[in-house]
Amino acid sequence: MTEIPHGAPPATDGGAPPDGDEYGVGSESSEPRIEFRGGKWASALPLAFFILWAIVQSGVLGIGDTNGLVVGALIGTTLGMFLVRGDWKSYADTIFEGMTQRVAATAIVAWLWAGMFAQTLQVGGFVEGLIFAADVLNVGAATFPAAAFVLCGLLATGIGTGYGSTVAFVTLFFPAGVLIGASPVLLFAAILSGAVFGDNLAPVSDTTIVSAVTQDADIGGVVASRFKYAIAAAIPAFVAYLVMGSVMSGVGLEGAAELRETATAPGLLHLISMGVVIATAVAGRHIVEAISWGLVVAIAFNLVFGLASASDMVVFTVTEAGALTGLPVVEVGETAGVGGSLYAGAVGFFPLIVLTLLIVAMAQIMIRGGGFEAIQLFLLDTVATTVRRAELTMVLGTAMINGMITINTAAEIAIAPYIARIGEKFNLNGYRRANILDANTSALGYIFPWAGGVLVGYQVMVGPEGLGQEYGPEMVVNPIEVVPYVFHGWFLVIVFLLAAITGFGREYIPDRTSEEVSRA
Amino acid sequence: MSRFEKFFAGLSFRGSTPDYAPGDAIEVMVTETRGETAIARIGDSTLRIEGTPADAENTRVLVDVETWDEESHSGTGTYRETVGKSAF
Repeated sequence: MTEIPHGAPPATDGGAPPDGDEYGVGSESSEPRIEFRGGKWASALPLAFFILWAIVQSGVLGIGDTNGLVVGALIGTTLGMFLVRGDWKSYADTIFEGMTQRVAATAIVAWLWAGMFAQTLQVGGFVEGLIFAADVLNVGAATFPAAAFVLCGLLATGIGTGYGSTVAFVTLFFPAGVLIGASPVLLFAAILSGAVFGDNLAPVSDTTIVSAVTQDADIGGVVASRFKYAIAAAIPAFVAYLVMGSVMSGVGLEGAAELRETATAPGLLHLISMGVVIATAVAGRHIVEAISWGLVVAIAFNLVFGLASASDMVVFTVTEAGALTGLPVVEVGETAGVGGSLYAGAVGFFPLIVLTLLIVAMAQIMIRGGGFEAIQLFLLDTVATTVRRAELTMVLGTAMINGMITINTAAEIAIAPYIARIGEKFNLNGYRRANILDANTSALGYIFPWAGGVLVGYQVMVGPEGLGQEYGPEMVVNPIEVVPYVFHGWFLVIVFLLAAITGFGREYIPDRTSEEVSRA
Repeated sequence: MSRFEKFFAGLSFRGSTPDYAPGDAIEVMVTETRGETAIARIGDSTLRIEGTPADAENTRVLVDVETWDEESHSGTGTYRETVGKSAF
């Protein structure tokens, strides 16, 4: 509880509390503005169609393609319009209204910067540095999975993308571990666990950003408040990998771990780049500022220590030599274009950005059509009747939607408004809500065989010129087999179930209000 | 709150029924309106707030706590000012 004398500023720990209107939300009128044939529930059609599409695409068909989800969202949004009574203009206007919400813009801006930073660390040899560390520490077959968990967790915390970390580690670290005799199933699961850790905790992670901005909380404060839950799950997970590493045997592949020869120490310098982002974000600086500082440090390290060239980060490719081809960032190639880590990092988020705009538009249609309020009232009247039940509803609801929509950021954006409103009805503060929202989002996105994180790693094994082709079928892991061994994911789910039941980490709005999102 | 303190904030087992004392000034979300009285449900505790604007529901307000019963975990308070709105 915060004591506030008369005339003193509100009980915030810095800055004025955020205003929902500023983010284009919290301004719904009590009467639905769009009337649907079929009543309020029909306003859920676009989002329901999209969720069904996502389940079929990612869950049933196993296709982890965000662009495919964009098409599903477009069709769903179009179908909803045919159910509108009267003028369809109000429906079209609501699409614009939803897309221009600041909650979406804030996440998009953070993603663009995070993407550039992550890719710049990649070209700077961060993964090779981590492999070097494992080599120097003389990690053996039994301890390799535990080391993979820690190092992949570090990489994911630095670059913020669990998918990217999974691809990097399955490409480079996984074959090295299997070749020295580690269990492929346990090693793949440990890499996925590391991805969960980073996705959940990194200030530059897309899921961290979404969880914070949708709950009106600053990203640095969310990361700091999340630490206790992440560690509570990570320590037993680390122990479990050590124990199971001794129990589960390898596949006996012969051959030197050639990939370990690519390991170089200088890439470890990027631990400092990563530390700069985390420290400045936790200090309460704007996420754009925090990542920009990290980016400046990363670029400087790359150039000064020769980790990457200027053209690795930005390159203009022209088809014919000209006056500018002498510059280090201009090259002659077959196809004209722009490339480099800054380009690829930002562009990599474009599909997710478009999808986010469409999801918030569909959510706004549901709000204006009354469907959002109807579901919320149902939950509050029948399920979430006490604070403990409300938190369990939030935990299980997030788990359910993430079990179905396996592109975890998309699932998180879809469930975020419910977490916000149900939590607020019990005065649970923004940090607690953001943590509940992100835990299962991060965990379940890397556990089930149809989860996006598992699929991207599996793709590295079975894809063209993949590990299976290069080393043989022993280097391919059946995604179903890894399910029980993604220890950090499972422990994170258990920690939050226990937290809801026991009140561990629970904070109310009067205890501590979130700093404003603009300082996120 | 210092950077260090942020890591340890909320590191406890918090009950379902937080209690407050007369004289406290707290920031709360108004969670419902009964008749003309605004109610803030904080966990499973309730605070009745007098003098709020008519459209106070789903807004964050600063309240002076006037009375509090620790057995029923409920109390009354007076509206001071509106400081924010719902996240959605």
